[in-house]
Amino acid sequence: MNNKKFSRRLILGLILVFFYFPILYMLVFSFNGSRSLTSFDGFSLQWYEKMFSDRNMMEAIYYTLITAVIATFISTIVGTITAIGLSKSKRIVREVVQQINDLPIMNPEIVTAVGLMLFYVSMHMEKGFLTMLLAHIAFCTPYVILSVMPKLRSLDPNLAEAAMDLGATPAKAMWKVIVPQIMPGIVSGALIAFTMSFDDFIISYFVTGNGVKNISTLVWTMSKRINPSINSLSTLIVIMITITLLFVNLVPMVKEKRQKQGRPISNKVFGIIAVCFTLVIGSVLVALKGGVGSSSPEDAIAKYGSDTLKVYNWGEYLDPEVNAAFEKKFGVKIVYDTFDSNELMYTKLQSGESYDVLVPSDYMIERLIQEKQLQPLDKSMIPNLSNLAKGVKGLQYDPDNTYSAPYFWGTVGIVYNKQKVHKTDLEKEGFNIFHNTKYKGHIYMYDSERDSFMMALKALGYSMNTSDKKELKDAYDWLVKAVDIMDPEIVTDEVIDAMINGNKDMALVYSGDAAYILSENEDMDYYMPKEGTNLWSDAMVIPKNAKNPKLANEYINFLLDYEASMKNTLFVGYASSNEEVLDEASSEGGEFDGNHAYLPRVGYAKDEIFEYNADVKKIISDYWTKVKIAK
Amino acid sequence: MKTFKRLTIPYIVWMVAMIVIPMLLIVLYAFTKQGNDVVSLQFTFDNFKKFFTDPDFLKTLWLSLRISLITTVLCVCIGYPVAYAIAQASPKKRNLLILLVTLPMWINMLVRTYAWIGILADNGLINHILAFFGLEPTKLLYTDFAVVLGMVYNFIPFMILQIESSLAKMDKSLLEAANDLGANRFQRFKNITFPLSLPGVVSGITLVFLPSVSSFVIPKLMGGGGYMMIGNVIENQFISVGEWNFGSAISMIMAVIIMISMYITRRLDKGDDTVRARKGGNVQ
Repeated sequence: MNNKKFSRRLILGLILVFFYFPILYMLVFSFNGSRSLTSFDGFSLQWYEKMFSDRNMMEAIYYTLITAVIATFISTIVGTITAIGLSKSKRIVREVVQQINDLPIMNPEIVTAVGLMLFYVSMHMEKGFLTMLLAHIAFCTPYVILSVMPKLRSLDPNLAEAAMDLGATPAKAMWKVIVPQIMPGIVSGALIAFTMSFDDFIISYFVTGNGVKNISTLVWTMSKRINPSINSLSTLIVIMITITLLFVNLVPMVKEKRQKQGRPISNKVFGIIAVCFTLVIGSVLVALKGGVGSSSPEDAIAKYGSDTLKVYNWGEYLDPEVNAAFEKKFGVKIVYDTFDSNELMYTKLQSGESYDVLVPSDYMIERLIQEKQLQPLDKSMIPNLSNLAKGVKGLQYDPDNTYSAPYFWGTVGIVYNKQKVHKTDLEKEGFNIFHNTKYKGHIYMYDSERDSFMMALKALGYSMNTSDKKELKDAYDWLVKAVDIMDPEIVTDEVIDAMINGNKDMALVYSGDAAYILSENEDMDYYMPKEGTNLWSDAMVIPKNAKNPKLANEYINFLLDYEASMKNTLFVGYASSNEEVLDEASSEGGEFDGNHAYLPRVGYAKDEIFEYNADVKKIISDYWTKVKIAK
Repeated sequence: MKTFKRLTIPYIVWMVAMIVIPMLLIVLYAFTKQGNDVVSLQFTFDNFKKFFTDPDFLKTLWLSLRISLITTVLCVCIGYPVAYAIAQASPKKRNLLILLVTLPMWINMLVRTYAWIGILADNGLINHILAFFGLEPTKLLYTDFAVVLGMVYNFIPFMILQIESSLAKMDKSLLEAANDLGANRFQRFKNITFPLSLPGVVSGITLVFLPSVSSFVIPKLMGGGGYMMIGNVIENQFISVGEWNFGSAISMIMAVIIMISMYITRRLDKGDDTVRARKGGNVQ
């Protein structure tokens, strides 16, 4: 018998360790003194400080809570009323409604999400808080109905009638007779609704936009770079959820105990607890709201017509202080959204979002100009255009900088570990080193169709702007072979932390990320292959449908200024478009003195700038999906 | 009782708008060519042809089925003994254990999965421990193993709770009777306990299989950017490629596959606890 007991304990112990170890791990590392997720370097509260001072995180908490509260409230009421109605309806109506009601529960969430997204787009609804809230109500209500229905089924159907025979109005009969009987179902429905909404990622991810993020979608965008603030945020969530659950589970226990002892808790006590709970959530919301928008907008509205500026930029591409300085100087609020590929940005634009300032790359700007989606810059408002560095001024996609003001620029090259990779191999093979099985299992490829095809085409000696079908097929085969024989990992921005940690020996990266990697890890160096590479630039543009073009011009001018440019280049590590900043940062004593990755290679004949070609784009994006699948 | 019946009307309208129309839109997009102008609808089967004639896309489908099947089997094998152990405990302990199993489910899936990254990374905790004992570091993150682990971690509570509740419902006097009739422990388990817990196992299987086959979050976090399950292909088509028609077609294919597997398990199951149990139906 003892033996049996022991094995039972062992099993339970193991599973609980499995469940709670990662959560505990996260909790511990939220107090870590360094960025690392693997070695603990002393106790510190810095990540909590970072979290509370990070406006994006505070906004995300605010939106998550307010959505969950409203969605729970509405779906509980609607769900309960509907369930009561259904219980009195004809069988056929009830069956049909229940079947449809089950759809969002049985369907994979991604299908529901995609459907809602298509729905909003067809209705020309701008994605944002409202679309997210409606979606949450839509997927929460079925759960409420589902948890209330069984309670109604076990209820005597004649109760309401009896009440009404005795003179109660239907409303009174429902409120005084039916609702109290099904209360447990309503409460558990509300609880499910709240956590469904609070935890939701997939649906929110597809239906939100315009800078509105909940906690999950924020974590998703942040999870590519190691960011211990995520751990602090998670710890906070774990604590909140634990308290709520304990509360919900303990109250009935205490109630029962008290009742057994003959000292039942009056409903008043519960009322008081409920009021306190609401007050706490309410005050948290008010506090967050206060932090979310707190500038004096009147002047800005008078001058620019609006006090908000919507910016869509690459992730980790701007020093937050720069935005804060702009907001302070102009008394406006910046809604700052980020993307991690040009294609993602473009798709988002097509799904009906509007921004005031975008920061796409060269070929994407060419495409947007061709499709007449941009408006010309107001050069009278941007005197700082004269600060532009020579190498990045008037490039072929926009020869007079009519539409675009360059922001950062650079090359694409190979970051390698000097201890592990021989420079002679690189010099001899160039990009073909990605076919050298000596380094099998030790390389990262970048999840970008453009740059992967650039690498393949250059390795084969073709132009990276080729539209020759055979050359593109060759490049595809080259990539499939690389994936096949080298076993690379295909990553995006997580490559930065991974290379700093020295996880692998070689990676294809953008020069600016390389500059950052080199400055953090001395073993790493940067190589630009002799076959030529992609000389890229990202520039600020104003879309046609911008709501606040005047302020957008002001913002562009502000970012091109010495001070903002310096801050950004130091923060991000990419080559500035401001000549003075570029010189100062790369000259002796500058931050990037001796860093091979910082200064772009200018004037090398084999380097090219991407051009836009719709047919080629389609071919390579199909090919690239297939390369990734082939892995 | 007319007054009460009318209460359903607002929700029916809402349901048509927010549930039925979106589903129809997916079907519409799946069968049409580029562009969502109602004026210039062009019907086509190309989107489906593209999926079914391309071995690469079929490969993602196969990968999704394979990974979720492994996940489901593991969840049954690990979940059953755990559920059995919980059901054997005293009522007080039982409630506590169930709360402990439920608790992680209420924490955001993304957050829970993110926690594993630091543990599995190339220079993460496990590899540090291996190195400490002088063992070769192994690649754990961005492998099938990591994806399966992430899925089991996220979905096994469903399985445990389902099996546990069907074990708890079981009439204990049956076991006593069998005991009196001379059945040994193994016989009692094989002939009574296991068959009676089967409905729980079946609905647990649905609850695990369903979210794993359509997941795109776990494969992306634990499998890396190159790990393409069918959910990732859909996400990719909608978010970065912008081919909504093709994306809709794949969503439809996935929904149909899931409907079929639901139908099969329902036939096996007969009970319809499944729906209610999905996520947190066990609150009370």
